[in-house]
Amino acid sequence: MEEQIAQNCEQSLSVSKRHSLRALSSIRSLINNPNTSNSTLSSLLETLTRSLQLTDSDSLTRHHELTLLAGLSLRHPHFSPLISNSLRSNSLLFSSYSPRLAAAAALAVISDHTVDDRFFVSLCFASSVSVRLWLLRNAERFNVRPHLLFTVCLGLTKDPYPYVREAALNGLVCLLKHVVFEDVDLIQGCCCRAVELLRDHEDCVRCAAVRVVSEWGKMLIACIDEKNRIDCSDVVFIQLCSMIRDMRMEVRVEAFNALGKVGMISEIVLLQTLSKKVLGATKEKKFHSLGAAECFEISASAAAGTFVHGFEDEFYEVRKSACSSLGSLVILSEKFAGEALNLLVDMLNDDSVTVRLQALETMHIMVTCEHLNLEDKHMHMFLGTLVDNSELVRCAARKILKLVKTPKLEFFRLFIDGLLENLKIYPQDEADVFSVLFFIGRSHGNFAACIIKEVCQEIEPDSDDKLGFDNARVAAFLVLAISVPLSCEQNVRSIPPQIFSYAVTLLGRISYALSDVMNQHSLMAYLSLCSRLSNFSEANFKGEDTPLHEAKSDDPNCTTEVSIGADIHMQKSSDEASKSRSWIHGKLKETATSRCQLEEEDEIWKALNIVLAKVRNVWSLVQSGFSKEALRILRACKEEVLTFKAESRGFDGALLFSLQYFKVLKLLTKGWEQFVPAKNIHHYEQGELEFLLGKLDRSLRELRCRFLGLSKEEELHVLELMLVSCLLRLSKFEICFYYTTMRNLSSTISHLEFLHQQGSTEPSNFVTAVKKSLFEINISHTSYRPSLFNQLLNSFSLSQLVFHGRLEHVHAELGVPDNSSENPVIFVSGLPVSIPFEITLYNISSVNRLWLRMTMSDETTQFVFLDSNLLGGCKDAKKFTYVAPFYRTPKASFTLRVCIGMECLFEDIHSVKGNGGPKRALAYLCNEKEVYFSRVSRG
Amino acid sequence: MAIDCLVLGAGQEVGKSCVVVTINGKRIMFDCGMHMAYNDHRQYPDFSRISKSCDFNNAIDCIVITHFHLDHIGALPYFTEICGYNGPIYMTYPTRALAPIMLEDYRKVLVDRRGEVEQFTSDHIAECMKKVIAVDLKQTVQVDKDLQIRAYYAGHVLGAAMFYAKVGDSAMVYTGDYNMTPDRHLGAARIDRLQLDLLITDFDFHGICLVFQFTFCKCYNSEIEYRNSLFIDYAAAVSDTVDYIIVSYLISLPCPEMEALAFGLRSTYATTVRDSKYAREREFLKAAASSVLHTAVASILSFVVIIVVHKCVAGGGKVLIPAFALGRAQELCILLDDYWERMNLRVPIYFSAGLTIQANMYYKMLISWTSQKVKETYNAFDFKNVHNFDRSLIDAPGPCVLFATPGMLTGGFSLEVFKHWAPSEMNLITLPGYCLAGTIGNKLMSGNPTIELEGTKIDVRCQIHQLAFSPHTDGKGIMDLVKFLSPQHVILVHGEKPKMATLKERIQSELGIKCCDPANNESVCIPSTHYVKAGASDAFIRSCLNPNFQFLKSGSEEKSVSGSKCTEGTLPLWIKDERVAEGILVLEKSEKAKVVHQDELLLMLGEKRHEVQFAYCCPVNVDELEKFTTTSLTPTARMLRDPNKSSLIRLLVAKLSRKLSEGNIQDFGEHLQVESFHLSVCLKDTCPYRITNGLEDKPRTAFFCCTWSAADDKLARKIISAMENRDLVET
Repeated sequence: MEEQIAQNCEQSLSVSKRHSLRALSSIRSLINNPNTSNSTLSSLLETLTRSLQLTDSDSLTRHHELTLLAGLSLRHPHFSPLISNSLRSNSLLFSSYSPRLAAAAALAVISDHTVDDRFFVSLCFASSVSVRLWLLRNAERFNVRPHLLFTVCLGLTKDPYPYVREAALNGLVCLLKHVVFEDVDLIQGCCCRAVELLRDHEDCVRCAAVRVVSEWGKMLIACIDEKNRIDCSDVVFIQLCSMIRDMRMEVRVEAFNALGKVGMISEIVLLQTLSKKVLGATKEKKFHSLGAAECFEISASAAAGTFVHGFEDEFYEVRKSACSSLGSLVILSEKFAGEALNLLVDMLNDDSVTVRLQALETMHIMVTCEHLNLEDKHMHMFLGTLVDNSELVRCAARKILKLVKTPKLEFFRLFIDGLLENLKIYPQDEADVFSVLFFIGRSHGNFAACIIKEVCQEIEPDSDDKLGFDNARVAAFLVLAISVPLSCEQNVRSIPPQIFSYAVTLLGRISYALSDVMNQHSLMAYLSLCSRLSNFSEANFKGEDTPLHEAKSDDPNCTTEVSIGADIHMQKSSDEASKSRSWIHGKLKETATSRCQLEEEDEIWKALNIVLAKVRNVWSLVQSGFSKEALRILRACKEEVLTFKAESRGFDGALLFSLQYFKVLKLLTKGWEQFVPAKNIHHYEQGELEFLLGKLDRSLRELRCRFLGLSKEEELHVLELMLVSCLLRLSKFEICFYYTTMRNLSSTISHLEFLHQQGSTEPSNFVTAVKKSLFEINISHTSYRPSLFNQLLNSFSLSQLVFHGRLEHVHAELGVPDNSSENPVIFVSGLPVSIPFEITLYNISSVNRLWLRMTMSDETTQFVFLDSNLLGGCKDAKKFTYVAPFYRTPKASFTLRVCIGMECLFEDIHSVKGNGGPKRALAYLCNEKEVYFSRVSRG
Repeated sequence: MAIDCLVLGAGQEVGKSCVVVTINGKRIMFDCGMHMAYNDHRQYPDFSRISKSCDFNNAIDCIVITHFHLDHIGALPYFTEICGYNGPIYMTYPTRALAPIMLEDYRKVLVDRRGEVEQFTSDHIAECMKKVIAVDLKQTVQVDKDLQIRAYYAGHVLGAAMFYAKVGDSAMVYTGDYNMTPDRHLGAARIDRLQLDLLITDFDFHGICLVFQFTFCKCYNSEIEYRNSLFIDYAAAVSDTVDYIIVSYLISLPCPEMEALAFGLRSTYATTVRDSKYAREREFLKAAASSVLHTAVASILSFVVIIVVHKCVAGGGKVLIPAFALGRAQELCILLDDYWERMNLRVPIYFSAGLTIQANMYYKMLISWTSQKVKETYNAFDFKNVHNFDRSLIDAPGPCVLFATPGMLTGGFSLEVFKHWAPSEMNLITLPGYCLAGTIGNKLMSGNPTIELEGTKIDVRCQIHQLAFSPHTDGKGIMDLVKFLSPQHVILVHGEKPKMATLKERIQSELGIKCCDPANNESVCIPSTHYVKAGASDAFIRSCLNPNFQFLKSGSEEKSVSGSKCTEGTLPLWIKDERVAEGILVLEKSEKAKVVHQDELLLMLGEKRHEVQFAYCCPVNVDELEKFTTTSLTPTARMLRDPNKSSLIRLLVAKLSRKLSEGNIQDFGEHLQVESFHLSVCLKDTCPYRITNGLEDKPRTAFFCCTWSAADDKLARKIISAMENRDLVET
């Protein structure tokens, strides 16, 4: 059957030189049939090739034949080399016939992905427009050298055909995904061409040009020298601003999308975008245009009213895009965010749900970076969204409320009323509303207590002794009430105890709503605890307002904080009270623990990873010089993690790890400030910077060796940070300690390599770049150039840290019983003194080499080796007493600062010189403990 | 070629838009408006200037009307029926539908109210409209063989359009009035980026609404004429211009102070920058919602609206919005209905009888001319929460919102309702931005607690809210449009002279576009594009098909030479792809112009290729050369003492390669080559290229003959100056 058809085709071909369409379609079915034998296929191929070479066949038939060949090579790849060989020789010939033909030929040839540079260029420069267009659009599929592709794309932006220009511009944007260009002239040339095309007559070209200006502008900003960087990014921003008055909706949308991507903009320009009136400050601010053709200066006033126009736009797409780009700009300046809010609240009244949602999303960003400053005039619009008939909008509004902090009671009241309103109109939102009430109450304990006091009557059972339990409003107040003790224990007293009992009756409902915070058991425990406590405290502390000694026991390493006005006397008298308080904490912790041990482990992981995801975004801020904002976000993250911490004992390791991680990032950010242009550079003194970097090294070391069970990803992450730390050091000549740091660098690199090999993963661009330049330095023995390292730093980007499993925290507790300044250890001057230490070690294995470091006030240090093999106890926690000698006792009384350190096994031996001391750098496992000594008095 | 632009009206003034443009022999009249402030000959444009013999049919090819406002169309029946123009008239469909009603209305007022002699009759209007050809947006109309016109959306009022006209290679746009910002009804102007020689743009988009309303407002209060005036009201209000109606009310009263005030107000448009419309809307919503919804909580929180419908039943108030017929009321209604829908409010909104039906009809008919939002909403004007009001509902309990005419509580239904509602402090009256002195509205705003009406005293306890009055469209809109279109020339019309002058300055200085603002009856002539048709040879066409770009690097040298700001901004890399540059225009006698490829030209002419070569015989001091090279440790120091050709060349190469950063120096023994720069030792005693003044006496001077082509001139001069040690400061 198969052969017969093939023969028929061949016949029809040989008899009449022009085969009928019928024959062609049977060939097509043969090709498409997977069962067709190879011999038939090759004979078909032969037939087709032969007929192609006939000179008198018409272009339509040719086109069909070529398409068939393309199909053949696509379906049966083993034929493709044959086909492309035969076609390649002819393809240019075809292009002289008709562009369509040439396109088909190109398609046929290219389907085997073996287009080389020369062939690509020859096709691009051929006269067929459609081939050119097709090639540009599919450029990514071929293996063309990026620089060649760049040249072709840039050149073709001059093409008279608009679609070719568009494709070329899109090609330029695509290129940036894979290649990093470093030649400033080249980038500038590209930007300049794109700026010219912003005024193209064709809409699609303008659209594509906006994208190029945005993407290549970013590249330009990154490449340009530091002192011009902000100006440059302002120029890019203003150029894009000029496009938002385009008559095409698509261009405006694209322009707004692009505006959000510009990394840093000076505040003046930002503020100008919010007002149509040209501000005095911007009037004089002139920049050089990016475009070469026009020598005009562009004025910052071109940005006037950008967002006003955007928000008033007729198309919801534009309004939405304006809202979302505003979201990425509000991070940059608090003042800008404040003024932008005035415009943004109007978008909450937009008729399109998408726009309202996006506006709320932007407000959410504001609230996360603490730039949301709600005022009277915003309230109406904002609270309106709580009763919006779209569920998504209400949900987004509540998400903001969860995080909002307000210093005004009246606002708080409004929020609560808004939420109650929401609950009343949409009872289906109950769970979420309760959860918001709980959060907002927790962060505004005093206000919540105030409100509860006012509505007490409402909650109380009526004359028939019936509680309004079915009343959602009452339930909401109960949730608000029970959140109060969590803000501050003193507030426990302000809530009448019976309220907690009432809440118990709604246990199921409340715990369902609070399922992301606690489960039913822990809620029950919590409620009963609170109710007992408030009973207790009411009896004991009536009328007593003095702030008391506040013991925060959530952090084992944390020192005791004593609030102002604390009175020891008072403390003693209210011993009972403090006991009760610590009991509260203990209980809270317990309930939290029980909760963790229950099924909700995942929740914490999720929450933790969400926080870490937030941290990742910090880096772009740091890189663009907004370290202040970055630090603020880090601080917020830290606080967030601390809230988990109070509730989860099982996750100590991971939580401590993340806290330590934040600390490292904080130090990195501070260090980084010295190397990037920031708006308000805080110049550190030399020594200060060194100190900072020293601290960074120490923190990184601890991050690396004080946690057991780090996954490979986590370890790689830490190692990359160590690379950054080394590079930071190397980029400042005065503190670089060249050889030591270089050695560290290379050992870190080799460790990274090892890990990558082990996991057969690809190292990041940053690591590869560092490796490459390290290699070059080793080979060429070039002299030390700080700028080289500085450049490397730019290629670093913070990847997201994701926790995969449990981490064990290695730490120790150290104490000397009965030692204080009043009760010192007695020693005889000149003779060794023995110090009895009580040591508890957590998660230490026998491989670890531990040292006791004892430092005197004059910085003379003595190390004592702790042989962990000799010590008893179980694996995770070893508790023992150890008597350590201190030899060089001075003549007078003194104090020792003692600390337990662990040798970092990954460090090179002898990196630390010390007589009889540790051979590697130490990571300290506990806070320093002071031990007091007093000389024995003679006689 | 040139475009002649004769401004018959609205030149440096507001009123009677009429511009006659002559492009490549075709004459188009844009708009044919009347000036409402005059009753004499100044009312109409001076048509005699178009043609002395009044043979308008031959003088004018077509008339284009942008929209139905009288200052753009008022003189049309006069021109066609009295002056006898019979040619085609183009306008959009809505304009054609609405224009006769406008004109009829105007005629009636003139005759019935003012008792003046009518300028044209109803029949005239009907006849005139028969000559109209309606066009659609973006539809290209071929008026005749050469002239084509196309309408673009302009916003402003229903059916308003900008018109593009093209004759041959010259093209222009006449904007009429337009909006650059959308409102809830109408979109913003939309136009393609066109290649334009001329843009004629209106300066004062709205001002004229006032003038034509001048007369009509007088008939406002009578219910009989209400139907007709509906349109006027509608026409103006629909485009976010409610305030103009108010202003025009002011003018309508026979009180000179009022008139002055109104004109004062108007002069604030266009020069002020208008800020967001949202602020006004917000105020309105807040006021409306908060008075409907009195709750226990809301009373504590006076500044905020808590939307509690259930609690309103007991204490809810009523809101009265006295509105002018339509338009603004419609806009507010869309706003409210939308909000009600979103917030799940159940409080009814009422329109006093008859209002909705009329409005909805027109809106539905012309929905494609409204804004994007209206288009997207299915049945935007079928308000879900809006009902017709019945007199019996005035005293019905419960909250509600009511739109009622007339606007300033001058009488009629709104006043009747006011009497009932004013004494309750739960109710709210929303007043338009300005109320005339003497009207109840005005008294309310001045805070009168008691109002005397027909002998009865009304104790006003309700809240009063005033709609904010804010200036409208501005200079920025014009700038944005001009910037977007970037025409060769701009002509400003339809505005007051001093303000136009300011804008003219801005357009010229900021955008670099020539701009003028001719007075009435002035004629402006601007040059226009004219293309010469030329054939092209096959080779040229083929070469044009292939991309032919090159990258040019402007040398660092140029940059340093010209230190002006301008070149600092120019960039080192730019692209050139002028395929036409390879073509050569050949104009042979008695034949059409033809473009050929440069390679073809020689063939055509049968000539050989000539190239311009520069030559110079350059003297070089051998001593210096040696000194220079010996210090640079040339191993063959001895040979230098006895210079021969190749050693001299070698010396020179050594020197040049040290001094020159660019160019690839190739040493061929006998000669030296850098790009096209060729150099060899000249042994002739008298070389034609040698400049011999005082050099002969210098000992040990070697001569080098240099030739180079024009392209490498810069390089060559650099090499020569290096050879002559001219550039060496240190030696």
